[in-house]
Amino acid sequence: MTTVFRWIFVVLAAYILLISIVSLLSTRATPEIWGYYMVEGGANYPITHWENVIGRSRSTDINVPLNTISNNHALLVRRGEDKWMIKDLGSENGTYVNGHRLDPDKRYIIGSGDIIEMGGVRSTVTQTSLEEARNNKFMRRLDKEPVAPWKILIAITAFQALTIVQLVLGMGTEMTASALISIVVLSIVMWAYVMTMEAMGGRGFEMEMIAFFMSTVNLAVTASYDPGSVTKEMIAMLIGIALMIFIMFFLRDLERTKRVRPILIGLSVVALLINLIFGNAEFGATNWIQIGSMSVQPSEIVKVAFIVIGAGVLEELYDKKNTYMYAGFSLFCMACLALMNDFGTALIFFTTYLVVSFLRSGDFSRMALTGTAAGALGLMALKFRPHIASRFSAWGHVWDPDMMDAAGYSQTRTMSYGAGGGLLGLGAGNGSLKGVFAANTDLIFGYVMEEWGLIITILLVLCIATLSVFAVMSIMAGRSTFYTILACGAATMFLVQTMLNVFGAVDLFPMTGVTFPFVSTGGTSLVASWAMLAYFKATDMRRDASLAVRKEE
Amino acid sequence: MRKQEKRAWICLAMVIVLVAGLGVFTFRFVKHGGEWATFYGNTQIYTDGQINRGTITDRTGTELLRCTKDGFVYSDDYMTRVSTVHAVGDPKGNVSTGAISRFKSQLIGYDMLNGTYDSTAGGKTISLTIDAAANRAAYEALGSRTGAVGVYNWKTGEIVCMVSTPTFDPADEPENADEMNEEGSYFFNNFLSGAMIPGSTFKLVTSAAVIDTMPDRDSFTFDCDGVNQLGDGDDTKLTDVYAHGTVDFREALAESCNGAFGALTREVGAKTMKKYTEKVGLTEPVDVDGIETAAGTFDFPSDNDVKLSWAGIGQADDLVNPCAMMVYMGAIANGGEPMQPTLIKSASFLKEIAGGKSLGRYLDAETADELRDMMKNNVVENYGEENFAGLNIYAKSGTAESGGVNSDAWFVGFTDDEDAPYAFVVWVKDGGFGSAAAAPIATYVLNTLEGGY
Repeated sequence: MTTVFRWIFVVLAAYILLISIVSLLSTRATPEIWGYYMVEGGANYPITHWENVIGRSRSTDINVPLNTISNNHALLVRRGEDKWMIKDLGSENGTYVNGHRLDPDKRYIIGSGDIIEMGGVRSTVTQTSLEEARNNKFMRRLDKEPVAPWKILIAITAFQALTIVQLVLGMGTEMTASALISIVVLSIVMWAYVMTMEAMGGRGFEMEMIAFFMSTVNLAVTASYDPGSVTKEMIAMLIGIALMIFIMFFLRDLERTKRVRPILIGLSVVALLINLIFGNAEFGATNWIQIGSMSVQPSEIVKVAFIVIGAGVLEELYDKKNTYMYAGFSLFCMACLALMNDFGTALIFFTTYLVVSFLRSGDFSRMALTGTAAGALGLMALKFRPHIASRFSAWGHVWDPDMMDAAGYSQTRTMSYGAGGGLLGLGAGNGSLKGVFAANTDLIFGYVMEEWGLIITILLVLCIATLSVFAVMSIMAGRSTFYTILACGAATMFLVQTMLNVFGAVDLFPMTGVTFPFVSTGGTSLVASWAMLAYFKATDMRRDASLAVRKEE
Repeated sequence: MRKQEKRAWICLAMVIVLVAGLGVFTFRFVKHGGEWATFYGNTQIYTDGQINRGTITDRTGTELLRCTKDGFVYSDDYMTRVSTVHAVGDPKGNVSTGAISRFKSQLIGYDMLNGTYDSTAGGKTISLTIDAAANRAAYEALGSRTGAVGVYNWKTGEIVCMVSTPTFDPADEPENADEMNEEGSYFFNNFLSGAMIPGSTFKLVTSAAVIDTMPDRDSFTFDCDGVNQLGDGDDTKLTDVYAHGTVDFREALAESCNGAFGALTREVGAKTMKKYTEKVGLTEPVDVDGIETAAGTFDFPSDNDVKLSWAGIGQADDLVNPCAMMVYMGAIANGGEPMQPTLIKSASFLKEIAGGKSLGRYLDAETADELRDMMKNNVVENYGEENFAGLNIYAKSGTAESGGVNSDAWFVGFTDDEDAPYAFVVWVKDGGFGSAAAAPIATYVLNTLEGGY
């Protein structure tokens, strides 16, 4: 039976993921138009973001190419219907509103009647007329519709049903009823989520479909590895989904989200300190704390907060205090992770910090400084942490006879069992990599390859790539830099995590022991993956596609 | 915001790195997947370091080895086990030419689509081209002597008999391999991995050179006095067993006259000898389904007539691999174009029809025909056709002086029957005279193959 199933699984997975991937990559949202910036005797600029820089530099949103205007002259931020905040960014010739010179770095509220003067040029901000608003809305309706979720849902359900049968075929009496019921629960939650959202007028569920599919593979792998732990995994998944919905609602209100950041910093600091004090050392890294019967990995949850803390609205990006605050917090996080000896996670935080800093400032010299400091730090880590050094020494040599059963043990087994799976896999429950330590977490790439085949494994990696590409594509229609940074931060975390996980397991990079988003077994990691999906949803500017985006009226 | 939008390219750059890495891995997967999957660490297919699935049979379907989760199960028959161990392999992997180690991925049944997935749970069956009965016959005929017997179908390339002695019982492999090897290498496959002095069998190579380069060879004669002094002193003799008297080219081969062949070699010259040795494939390894045989080595000095003469007679520094010699016999039998030897029986019907894979042209068809004729003459004039009843045989014997108590005996050649187109090589260390010691072994094995015994 497995012989036939293997083909069906691959066909279903390809259908589910390719439809979702193609739909995500082929739809593009037409930007919303919030008003017009009219230059006297000159051009008429549509304002497509909430946050805009006016200036001479090409990288400004409202580009007025006059020598009397500074590169980044002033900030124009939407504050509501016909309500704009204007702020001079310390320009050379100053900004005037109704003849009054603005104090640099002070906020002023203006509306459609007010006359702005910069470098001798007068301009006004005007509302979109009713007709234009209707036209814009009409244009947005012409955007390609996201794919309807129903066929994909049915395909995932079929995949889940067959997975249950296959697990029984593969594991026999070792399989437990609770493990199989967990997959049924996931299926029900998936239908409930989509039907509820659809009833609320939502569309565009590709990202959730991808996440539900990856979660199904997660439960299948967990069931194959240890049937007794599937219920816990499933509960973590429900918490993650709930958290994602909560974050999406929360993100609708930008001001509220901004205010919550100091609280998140406090909570993160406390969580990491608790981890440091009460943490359990497990296999080199002290990144677990035990709460009752549950073991929790605080650094995974801090990841979610880390991205929000790093995000900022455009105005904040010109505020040095905000930047220092973020850098200080990041340093604290990485120091804690170093003390915990969690090299992999530290690397994820570090890369995310670099990318977010780059987005915030784009200042390469500062990045270089940070990079150098971190490089030095890394070298020290190499010197002081022999086990990290040994991982680096095996890198690229895992098949050497003296490595293959020593420092390269995990990698050679990953590749050997993975290749044993061929393109179609041996069937869920039939794998043997499970006998190797961390097979269902750090070596998940090999685990999935052995049981599900190379094709499905590649598709899973492409899912992560697609989420990231989609995030980058959709920020073009974004409202605030806050969402841009959220999406890029989350994309970076997913990408780096996937790279470290996959490349480490197959010897393209030293093994660092991190999880594959959504797929690796591990409650906290799964919660974090689902929660971070909210950040991707927040960039989905397709009409009605995201709960995280408040409707236009 | 445009600045931030533009800077988001950095995420795309990471996507490219991820996808590129995945591409590199996929490339490696395609290229090395078979090696990875058959790595001994894979417990799907290895139990305690031994392959746990797959069956090896001989060409008739006789089971030689079954790999199970409880270990290797060899044939019940002792003679079958010891005579096929060099083809099949041993549990400890000491026999490097064994099918267990060489055809691992076929045995496991790895392919890229299915990986090691096995719907039958018993692994794949690979049929070797060898005939267990012929192997037993060869082993029986060799007795306790060290030697090698190889026979292959010169039309299809299938090796039907491959035996190397000394040998051992793989079902009862001793713990201490060194102890076992005191009397010589039990694990060593003389046929595939050996290189030994060819003796007079090499005269078939010299003859090919003569045929191609001496148009006046029919008028060649030599007066053999049994000593054939070339210069002064003992070390310049081309001794023969007895004085052959006056011989022509044909008779020189039939009588295997060293004096005459020394003269022919000198006439042909060092350069041509070297060229012909290379041309007939004796200096390169033969590829047998990925197993490379040992390569022969030769030295034809242009400034030393005595040494050159001995080299043309198959002595001096000459070393030949038995398998390569067998392939040369196949070349003569097949009009100058030998088939590549193979050990795995093709499962494909089409391939069976198409026949073997040619190794290219070794000799011109006319040259091959003349050699063939002379080899028949050897049998008629020297070895006696009555000794090969029922076989249409063409052959050359060899008696190689290797410094042992006795000479090493060789008998090489082929048969040409519609149903039995076999090229063969027999080598017996310390066997004595080739025609006396090695020829009967060849006869016994060939008759077994043809159902004569």
